[in-house]
Amino acid sequence: MTRSGRLAAETRAAAKAFLRRRTAVFFTFFFPVIIVVIFGILVGTQPTGGSLFAEPPGWYVPGYLAVVVLFTPLSRVGSEVARHREGNRFEKLATTPLSRAEWLLAQTVVNVVVIGAAGLLLLGLLVATTAASVAVSPALALLVPFVVAGVALFCGIGSLLGTFADSRDGAIAASNSLALPLLFLSETFVPASLLPGWLPTGLSPLTYFARGVRQLTYANAAGASETLLATARGPGVLGPVANLAVLSVLAVVLFAVAARSLPRTD
Amino acid sequence: MDAIVAEDVSRTYDGTVAVDGVSLSVDEGEIFALVGPNGAGKTTLVRALTGTTEYDGRVELFGQPPRELDRERIGLLPQDFTPAERLSARELVAYYGGLYDEARDPEAVLADVGMAAAAAGTYETLSGGQQRRTCVATALVNDPDLLVLDEPTTGVDPAGRRALWALLEDLAAAGTTVFVTTHYMEEAEQLADRVGLLADGQLVAVDAPDALVAEYGGRSVLSVDGIDEGALDGTAVLADLQYPAEFADGRLTVRNVQPEGIADVVDTLAAAGVTYESLTWTEPDLEDVYLELTGQALTSGGEAVVTGSGDSPETGTSARAGTETSTRTDTATDTDTGTGTDTDDRDRPEGRRP
Repeated sequence: MTRSGRLAAETRAAAKAFLRRRTAVFFTFFFPVIIVVIFGILVGTQPTGGSLFAEPPGWYVPGYLAVVVLFTPLSRVGSEVARHREGNRFEKLATTPLSRAEWLLAQTVVNVVVIGAAGLLLLGLLVATTAASVAVSPALALLVPFVVAGVALFCGIGSLLGTFADSRDGAIAASNSLALPLLFLSETFVPASLLPGWLPTGLSPLTYFARGVRQLTYANAAGASETLLATARGPGVLGPVANLAVLSVLAVVLFAVAARSLPRTD
Repeated sequence: MDAIVAEDVSRTYDGTVAVDGVSLSVDEGEIFALVGPNGAGKTTLVRALTGTTEYDGRVELFGQPPRELDRERIGLLPQDFTPAERLSARELVAYYGGLYDEARDPEAVLADVGMAAAAAGTYETLSGGQQRRTCVATALVNDPDLLVLDEPTTGVDPAGRRALWALLEDLAAAGTTVFVTTHYMEEAEQLADRVGLLADGQLVAVDAPDALVAEYGGRSVLSVDGIDEGALDGTAVLADLQYPAEFADGRLTVRNVQPEGIADVVDTLAAAGVTYESLTWTEPDLEDVYLELTGQALTSGGEAVVTGSGDSPETGTSARAGTETSTRTDTATDTDTGTGTDTDDRDRPEGRRP
């Protein structure tokens, strides 16, 4: 069996195991709906002030995408690793030709597909139910590698949490504790201008996702505010490709560390 | 060539010695059973042998360190293994088969372990025994040269166990080396070419079951119970018997009686006018050997019960344990369904317990 054959076998098994967990599937796709309903429709955005969300609706699109790219891989892969540990599955896999990197890659592929679908659902809901618009251009195709890199990165972090947490519950709790601050301190829903200057948002990998996606979906959109455009495209600001490059390098490093850290037994 | 060579293998966890200087070798095509109670170090030794944990000492599988062995050649069933949820038995076996260059037809493997009829059931819906048999199938699917099974029959009903034993014997006859751990003594005795007895991380004896029983198992015992003490001229009867014997508390214990000698004892008792309620004959087995060497008896749940007799593994001497059967009062819990109950005295001569 070639590497691709092993990957296909692992990916099929992981996909089936996930897709047949109906509650998990439902909430994976329901989660973006909840987010859009609460923040996009109920709270709404008022660029003139007076709302929790004071920027134009399109500015928040990267934030919504970040929610699914961040939360789902973190909690899913973290709990999957913990589940594998509890069932001694890594011990068995260690005696098969499937490497730890191949195992993690298969999990990542499943997450990319699931989160890609959830992301499309979310974008559709945003455009259909809020005033957000997305700039359509050839550059928008870069959204795909952004999602892939983001998912791979957070699959790596989730895997590390699952490796070092002492239980599945611990992995999920750790992923939530990590995801929440990352979500709000990475220029997703809160502009950098509202965050303390000393806060090193550049240390958060999600920042590069949010900045890059915003440059793709918002910076060219009609109605984008000049002030915010300046922060997205101004001098010294990384372009979308550079943001993608940073995100990809971080993803590769974290993926490699996570794969290396996966346990054989104890 | 040896399939497995282990020399002075040790493993310590946070100061606790799990495996302590174990050395053994297993021939190709041999069935080797590692026997010991829970906590004896069986699983840790399996992990050392398969390269899934760090260890001190030397291990070679077919002449190579475990992690350098072609993984197509080994099949492993870990202890307490639970595969991916929501997959059927058929899908699970196919999944593990898909990880190898060459794998057997999953349907044939499932048939081998008696799971053909239940292969469509998702793992969670299977009985405990069916789950375990499915797990065994995942270790067989790559047709390995070395099959390592860590407690493969836990929770499997007696019929399923015998079917698995037959399967392993067939595999070994075809050249597969089988290394199995168990806390079921009768399983090791019936299945294995050689047995290793593990206690407190140390291998206290390795040999063929018959050889171990002959060397350490003691003698067969004929117990005559329910004797009317008032009607017994104990001295005369004991003198007439051709075997060493003792009488106490209404029981006459005659030692070293082979089956063909039982009639002589019965005739002697009849001639002396001795009446009794029951007569039972037991021969020594691996449990006696383990008791002799470690001072521990094993419950069917795999727990060790210290009898206070026998020697510790460290001494290496072989004083005979005093109490023959007083600790064997356990009853196994069978988690398989529909095939009867499973008790600790299966396959044991009648009247093993007093």
